[in-house]
Formats: sequence, C-alpha cells, structure tokens
Amino acid sequence: MEKTQKTQPEFRQVTVMILMSIFQLVCAVCVISAEKTVNLHLVYIFSGFIAAEWLYMMFGVMITGNDYFELEAIAFFLSGIGLTVCASFNETFAIKQIIAIGLGLLTYIFILLIIKDVRIACALRYPAAILSVLLLISNLILAKTVNGTLNWIEIGPFSFQPSELVKVAFILVGAASLDKLLSNISIVKYIVYSLSCVGLLFLMRDFGTALIFFFTFILIAYMRSGDVKTIFLICAVALMGAVLIISFKPYIAGRFEAYRHIWEMKNEGGYQQTRVLIYSSSGGLFGLGLGDGKLRNIFASSTDLVFGLICEEMGLIIGFAVLFSFACIAIFAVKAAGYSASAFYAITAVSAAGMLLFQLSLNVFGITDLLPLTGVTLPFVSRGGSSMICSWGILAYIRAAGAPFKLPPSDISVNKRRKKDKAA
Amino acid sequence: MKKTMKRAHIVYVLIAAFLCGVIFLGVEYALNAPTWATDRANTHIFTRGIMTTAGKILDRNGEILAETKNGKRVFSDSPGTRKACLHIVGDTSGFISTGTHSFYRSQLSGYNFFDGIYGLKHGGRESNITLNIDSEANRIAFESFGEYNGTIAVCNYKTGELVCSVSKPTYDVNNVPEKLRTSPEYEGVFLDKAVSGIYTPGSIMKIVTAACALENIPDIGSRKFECKGEFSTSDGTIICTDKHGTISFQQAFNQSCNCAFGQIALELGAEKLTSTAEALGFNRSLSAKEIPLVKSRFHPKASSKADTAWAGIGQSTTYVNPIHFLSVMNAIANGGTGFSPDRIKTMGFAGEFVGRIPETMVKMNPETAAELKTMLRNAVRDKYGDDRFPDLKMCGKTGTAEIEGKKSTSVFVGFSSREDLPLAVICFAEEAGWGSGAATRISNAVLQYFLKYYA
Repeated sequence: MEKTQKTQPEFRQVTVMILMSIFQLVCAVCVISAEKTVNLHLVYIFSGFIAAEWLYMMFGVMITGNDYFELEAIAFFLSGIGLTVCASFNETFAIKQIIAIGLGLLTYIFILLIIKDVRIACALRYPAAILSVLLLISNLILAKTVNGTLNWIEIGPFSFQPSELVKVAFILVGAASLDKLLSNISIVKYIVYSLSCVGLLFLMRDFGTALIFFFTFILIAYMRSGDVKTIFLICAVALMGAVLIISFKPYIAGRFEAYRHIWEMKNEGGYQQTRVLIYSSSGGLFGLGLGDGKLRNIFASSTDLVFGLICEEMGLIIGFAVLFSFACIAIFAVKAAGYSASAFYAITAVSAAGMLLFQLSLNVFGITDLLPLTGVTLPFVSRGGSSMICSWGILAYIRAAGAPFKLPPSDISVNKRRKKDKAA
Repeated sequence: MKKTMKRAHIVYVLIAAFLCGVIFLGVEYALNAPTWATDRANTHIFTRGIMTTAGKILDRNGEILAETKNGKRVFSDSPGTRKACLHIVGDTSGFISTGTHSFYRSQLSGYNFFDGIYGLKHGGRESNITLNIDSEANRIAFESFGEYNGTIAVCNYKTGELVCSVSKPTYDVNNVPEKLRTSPEYEGVFLDKAVSGIYTPGSIMKIVTAACALENIPDIGSRKFECKGEFSTSDGTIICTDKHGTISFQQAFNQSCNCAFGQIALELGAEKLTSTAEALGFNRSLSAKEIPLVKSRFHPKASSKADTAWAGIGQSTTYVNPIHFLSVMNAIANGGTGFSPDRIKTMGFAGEFVGRIPETMVKMNPETAAELKTMLRNAVRDKYGDDRFPDLKMCGKTGTAEIEGKKSTSVFVGFSSREDLPLAVICFAEEAGWGSGAATRISNAVLQYFLKYYA
C-alpha cells in the first residue's frame, strides 16, 4: 500500500498524452483529408475526443492528486483507433462511436464511484443478478436475428446487445456474492446465476459470449477457491456438456466446420477469415492508408473484423500494438490486484482482465483462424455502442483495484478470514 | 487476502497464453503472407479471380507484353506476339499455371513483407517483371511452326538466360476462341510444353547413350560396328533406318544408327545407362530457377535386352522434358556446366541492381562434354550440312520420335559454337513426319534472327 499513498501531484502522464494526441491528430488528418472537402463534423468529433482525453486526465490528476492514468491512456488509444476506423467509413458511424465512447467513459466513472465502497457493491449484487437475467430473457423474446445470433434488441433507431451489458454485471455479481460469504448457499446461487446466463446465451446462439461468461466464471471460481482440481472438474463437465449439446444439435458444430479449413471453403464458411488474412497481409507493416483498403467492403469489417481492417490500412505494427495494449492492461490488473484494498477488488480486477483478454483472443484469433470464429467484438475498438460501454465498464474494475482510494472500512469477509487465518 | 493476491498471478499465465497466440499469428504471417496477399480473392489485384491490377511484364528489349491500364489488363498490340508469348506471359485467370501472371503473381503484385502491396497501389516499379525472352524471336518461332504444334526453347548457355520459348497450340488472349475447351485442336493449350511437357526423345537420346559410352568404354572411339539394317537380341529386334555396314562410333552417331547404338546400350547395360541419365538429371524433380519441371524419365527394364537397346536409342519408356534437355545441351556447350534456363531478367524491389544468379541444373564431366561437342559439330558438318544453319557453326543432333497411332515428332537439339552467339536450342515439332526437316528449319529460323540482331 505504500506506493499508492505517495502523492505525486505533477502531471507525468503528459508525455504519453502528447504522443497519443499527435498519433490521433495524424489519424484525424488522414481520415479528413481523404475526402475532397473538409468535413467539419469530423473535425469537431476528433477535436472533441482529444479534448475529452485531456480534460479527463487533468481533472483526474486534480481530484485524485496522483498520476496513475496508464489504464485510461491505453483505453483512449484503443478507442481512438476505433473512432478513426468509424470516421473513415462515414460521418454517422463516427458520431455514433464518439457518443459510445462518451457513454463508455461515463459508465466507467459511474462504476468506479459505486464500487468505491465494497458494501454498496455487495448490496447491488442481487438487483444486478436479477436485472441481467431479465435482460437476457427479454433479449431472447424480443431478439432480432443478426448474422445467425439472436443477441440484438432494437428500440427505435437504437439497437443494442444486452449480453454486453450483462458482462459488466456478471463480474460484479460473481465477485460480490463470493466475496461476501463463501458459503455453500452463495456458491450454489452463483452457479445457478452463471448457468442461467450461459444457458440463455446458448439459446441465443451467441456461443462466443457464452464462452466468455463461462471463462469468467471459471476465473472467479479459481480466484475465490484456489482449487485447481475443482476447476478441472468444472471444465471436464462443461466439455462433456458441450459434446452432448453438439451431438443433439449438429448445426452448432456446422457453424464451426470451416475452422482450420478456411482456404478450402473460402467462399463459404471461411469467407470472412480468408478475407481478413488476405487483406491484412496486403497491408504489410505500414498499411495501405486509411480508406484504401478492400476489407472494408466485407461484412462486419468495422465490428468483428476490425483487427484485419487496422492491419490492412494502418499496418501490422499498429495491429499488433493493439494486441500488446491488452497485454499491458492485464499486467496492470495483476499489479492493481496486488495493491487492492480487499479481495473483492482483486477478484474483479483479475476477472475483468481475463474477460478482456479472452474476448480479444476469441476475436483476433477467431478471425485469423487460430480459433473457431465465434463473432465477438474487439473491446474498445470495434464499432458499436454496447461493446464500447461494456469495455469501459469492465475496465473500471481494474482501475478500482489499483485506484488510490481510501481503504474502505473492513468488511465482514476480511474480518472473518483474518480470524480464520489466526485460528489456522 | 494474500492468497487471493497470489492467485492473481493466474493472469500472467493468461497473458503468456495470449502472447503465444500472438507469436503464432506473427509466425503465420511471416510464413504465409505472400501467399495470402496474392490469393485470387484479393480484389486489390484480382477482379472475380482475374488478374487486373499488377506490374508490367516486359521482354528483354523493354517491349510491353502485359500491363494494367484503367483497371484492366492489356496485352501486346500484335496478335502474333500475344499468341507466341501466351505461355510465358500467361493468362489472367491462371489456367496456365507456369505463366508469369500466375507463377510470379506475388512478384507482379510487388508484394513485400514490409510494404505489403503498397507499391502496386501507388504505381511503384518494384511490381514490374522484365523477362529474358525476346518477344520478336518468339513471334518468328511461332510463325515458323506453321500448322505444327510443339515447342521450342532457346537459351544462352553461358548465362542461362532463356531468350525464346514458345508452346503450341496457343490462342489469342484478346480473342479467346469459343471452342478452346472443347475442340481437340486446342488440346493441351493451357500447358507450356517447354516446362510442363514430356516427349519421346527419339535419336537425341543417343547423346546420353554416347555420354555413357565415352565414360565407360575406353576404346569407344576406335570401335567398329556392324549394321545390317536390323539387329536381333534374345527377346526382340531393333530396326535401323538403313543398312549402314561397318561404321565407327562417330559415323554411327552421324547416321543415327540404331543397330550400333543398340549394341552400345546393351554392352553398357541398363544400370550404367540409368546412372549416366540420372547424373544428367533424368528421374529427378528439377526446376528451372523457381519453375518446377515435369520429370524426364529413363527406366529401361534391365531384364529385357530389347528394352534396354530401345531405351538407349530414345524409344521405349524414355521421355524428356524440353527445358531439362536444353540444360543438358547447355552443359555440353558450356564445358560441363549446364545452367538452368531462366526466363526472368529482373524482378522485385532491388531486382535491377541485384540481377539473377545463374543456377546449375545439369553437371557433366568436362572431357565428356568436349568430346560430345566435337561429335555434335561433326554430325552437323558431315551429315546434316552447314547450309541448313548458315554461319551458325552449329553443333546438334536430330531425332524422330515415333508415337503409336500418330505421325512422328520431329526433334532437334543443338547449339551454336560461335563465341558471339552462345545459344542452345531444343525444338519438338509434333506430327511433322519422318525426318528432322521441320525442327531444324524452325530452330534455324530463330537462331538466324539472333545472329542478325545479337551477334
């Protein structure tokens, strides 16, 4: 805890911020100069984005009195790339995306504030659990089939993916319910909750998100129990369940038949993956230039396939920089867990980092055929409001662990365990 | 609490697994990116699988054989050049797999790992390919073939540059015949017979038999052979073209005497013949620089005397690939080192400065090469006559390959021994009938062109 208690009022983040702003300015100039006339709306969007970054950082330093904003810097870097991609498509995408980033940032601050006190977080676990299951059920009823999955709800001009919002709740419920009391009842409750989430996602045929939830469940269970045997047992049971489901519903396996055979099925099941590989390798290390790519003509190029688009137009170096950014977020999470005031924060930070890393892997390795294609988004970068809000929301858990907030009053679980430790 | 902190290190395992995936992905890119980037589905280069945007293909004199104009692939203006260079230049759909369009599509796209295809998109020169081929020589060769099908290839034996290569049947890419896929007249039209064809060699195989004899029978030069027009072994009869009487090794070579060469082949035996043939590249997967060749085959049955004798005179189950055999001629002409015929002069990012390094395809004992060279020179001077190849100081051997149910293939292999015209040639004229007329005529026409403009 010593480190976080040191106050470092000067704004050291400034170098990073200047470099990042230069990068984003270059991106903005590339996008805006691609058209014959200067699109003023895009100018406002980019300058607003860069201004928002600076304002956030400055207020952050002023309020917290310290300089630990690496996490936000990474998130802004990634969001900026996503915004650039959206703006290179059209103005509408850019406007929607900047609104999404704004909402994401608000969600981030909001979650930071409510989980500041572990007791509030614990109190929220029942409403969050019930609300998230209800959301998924309503999703199943109201859903509109998009690209083979039922995970979209349309309300007026807006469409959103409830499963994305549920991800944020899932971590909270998991960490809070298990942190509170590691009793059999709380475990059973949590398992029932997790099963219903994963099951509902399965019914929506959103296997990618179902997998992310399952993975996070395992991670939370491990963090809480530390029992590797149990984890293996759960995985084995899940595997058997998966085999059973696939044998009863062969169409599920059919969705993955192109896996590792994409070149033989390059105009059927392997269409998206082969196009990602073809165009991302066309870009070389430095890219063909924003707007000059061809992957943008392929379905979902700004959402699921955005990594390929970045590689083609901005180059492999920036593409891989995006990947390494997530590794940095994860490293930050471990460090933050080490400084965290309570086990709750350690669990949320680790499960949030794991969730982000796992979703990133499913996305990037899915579209490049290292893993089966499941159609999940690239956090922070893919176009889409729900995904952006969820990414920032999850990030808040990592930040909360490392945030130099005051120690909350010790909660029951900490006391209990201390007693246990003493007894042992 | 502390335990939970420790468990947080599981994230390091996740990061490690993730980084393994990233490294795997990076390695996959490093290994496969050129293939991926030049896949026919890449709409930067191809439109519905047809190559539309790529670098220029130029002949050795800078003549444009193919280029992209306004998003379309445009070929040479002359229909004759288009037809004569079809198999070298290749079609844009990739039916001719050894055509430059298809085989060197990665280089034509200007792809490199650092820049991707940026150069192509922005008109860089690194996507151009300059060939060693002289398109005018190709056109002359094409016209000399007349109605015959077949192939001719001419190579500089001192450098390995492939300066002329034609395969027939051919067609005009700007005016694709409707019956291309159905009519028997276009059978094998997508095959560059020089690299992807194999022919029964006929008497040119006697060069290999002679090479084996020179290396294994010390007194072969002073031997006499008896030819009575035919020659019987225990399990078959070899028929000769004539009754040559008592003749020397050189005379037998000049007259292409089957009886004499049958006897020599029998004396050497299948094993020694095969070992010489294999040393010269038979039964081996060879490639002319990057382009893979169809294997030349030599498999005499050791158990059958007649089969061994027929194999030694180029019939039976012996087949040669034209470019491979051209390299054998390169070796004879070039003191034992037979360069790989290379159609590319320059390509790629630094191609103009780096150039191409000649590769050896066939190696031969220099003494054998020198003796064969003398024999081939004698054969032209004493048998075929220098007036068939004016001013060329030609060395060579003709052949007639008999094919069941068809007229014979007329064959000629040779090279000019002029210092200023180091060119070797191989020509197969299909169904051109008995005798070597067609192949020698076509070869001479092409070499005369080179004599006029290069010597």
